[in-house]
Amino acid sequence: MSNEETFPSSAALGASSSRTDAWQRSGKVVQMAAIGFALVWSLAPVYWMLSTSLKTELEATRLDPTLWPHEPTLANYIGLGGGTLPFVSFFFNTVVSCFLTALIAVVVATPAAYALSRAQFRLRTSIGYTVLIVRMLPMIVLLAPLYLLLLNAQLLDSLSGLVVGFTTFGLPFAVWMMKSFIDAVPIEVEEAARVDGYPRWQVLLRVVVPLVFPGILTTGTFVFMEAWNNLIYPLTFITSLDKQTLPAALVLTFTGQFKTDWGGMMAAATITTLPLMIAFFAVQRSMVRGLTSGAVAGA
Amino acid sequence: MSNTAVMENQKPVRRASGRVPWLDWMVMPTLAVLALVVGYPVVYTLMLSVQDYNLLDIVPGGYVGAGNYSSLFSDPVFWTALYNTAVYTFGSVFVSALLGLIFALLLDNLAGPQFRAVRALLLVPWAVPFVVVAFLFRYMYMQNGGIVNEMLLWSGLIDHPVPWLNNAALAMPAVMVANIWAMAPFFFLLLSAALSGIPNEVIESARVDRARTWSMIWHIKLPFLRNPLIVSSLLMIIANFNDFAKIWAMTQGGPGFSTTTLVVYVYRLAFENFEFGYASATGVIWLLLLLVFAVAYVRALRMN
Repeated sequence: MSNEETFPSSAALGASSSRTDAWQRSGKVVQMAAIGFALVWSLAPVYWMLSTSLKTELEATRLDPTLWPHEPTLANYIGLGGGTLPFVSFFFNTVVSCFLTALIAVVVATPAAYALSRAQFRLRTSIGYTVLIVRMLPMIVLLAPLYLLLLNAQLLDSLSGLVVGFTTFGLPFAVWMMKSFIDAVPIEVEEAARVDGYPRWQVLLRVVVPLVFPGILTTGTFVFMEAWNNLIYPLTFITSLDKQTLPAALVLTFTGQFKTDWGGMMAAATITTLPLMIAFFAVQRSMVRGLTSGAVAGA
Repeated sequence: MSNTAVMENQKPVRRASGRVPWLDWMVMPTLAVLALVVGYPVVYTLMLSVQDYNLLDIVPGGYVGAGNYSSLFSDPVFWTALYNTAVYTFGSVFVSALLGLIFALLLDNLAGPQFRAVRALLLVPWAVPFVVVAFLFRYMYMQNGGIVNEMLLWSGLIDHPVPWLNNAALAMPAVMVANIWAMAPFFFLLLSAALSGIPNEVIESARVDRARTWSMIWHIKLPFLRNPLIVSSLLMIIANFNDFAKIWAMTQGGPGFSTTTLVVYVYRLAFENFEFGYASATGVIWLLLLLVFAVAYVRALRMN
């Protein structure tokens, strides 16, 4: 909001004004150059991924890389659809398991978040912080026991097993995120409804849930994104390739299919990125809330 | 307004209905699920850590007490992994925080649609899945035909292609650059938000005092950013401590053990050697280390 050019004080200073102006102008140039550099640094790798995904196999592995595809082709993307690898299944598996995780997380977490935000029981704070610490536990520590648990429950190598794994970080995350959304609802709104004679559970369903619905969507999207990003659980819990998720499939197939086919690899990478990118920008505005509430500890 | 008046009148009603016992119980489903998917595994890990448990053994070995822990402390790979974890975590977080801070300050003064677009574009790396970050950089780091080498050769900084990921000394910094690329936008976003939260009066009064850009940053903005910086750094320290995808997909911990962090080591022990007991002991040590940061984080959050 504030301002460099409105730093008008220097103009009023008379004598030193022209020197200050020059100093400020050169400051502005440096500032713009730095911003330009930041943009290149952030976007160049993504451009490189897109550009490579449109190159022929020959061009993608040239010893003198070309900045833009000389013969742009969609062959890499088309190849994913009908190639030797079940890419459509990978995509489907990822979407289904991430969506289920998000759904379960918000359904289970929302009542808990409401209780942590509004109810007044003695252990409220301790439970809240316990959930937060659970959120930060390294997944790898849970990995061996979870593996044995899923083995005994016959859930290894299934999407349900994967959802169980994703829930370990998705649920505590959703609790904290939802709590911050519910905290933001003025309590007067609920009180007004109660004064009108609605029982508490109706206030919850008819007043609170609609009010925090955007928060529920945001939280769900976040959980979805984190599950999408996860590599370690699918890598350990899924054994047959056709049940694999996109990130794990990229890792597993790299040694075989994509050994030299960087164009195909980058096309697959682009497809893996796209849904996450869309979700990310959809919730970008409310992201800061999640960040500051401590929910996002990215695992 | 009239609404508030009504509220005042109804105060006794509000108090009377304040406590609804079943509200408290709404935390139960979450606690039950967490007890099963997190509580149970943590307890199980503690139990495994004192056993000689290899999944491949037909008869699982028994209780070995502190055996796993004592062999852990004399295991050079464990110490290497611990050292690597520290370098990877603190190095990446420090540089990302610095970059995020610099760019948040640089863009702080700039309003208007074009700068809103710039801000959004700077967030792009954070929306790229970790595995994709890994493969993207792996492709760019290729010794022959990789764009990184190509550009460095072109600019004359190096005179022959460098095998970034295949050199024990260079692999860790190379992986960290990828990590920093992906993480810096997080700090940028959070610190930008914190900067825009500085009350206007503070900026105004400082300007009346004719504070110059530098002293404005030094005396006004940085002190405001201290807490957000601490909180977000702790958060990212915890996240990096647990980071698996980027390292695994780029180097699998190699060459040698040069990029083997604790996560990679535990993963290898458990899922390549099936040494669940030994892996669990490593996990427990690491859990303790992590708890230190988690507690620090919760305290920092409370102070805010």
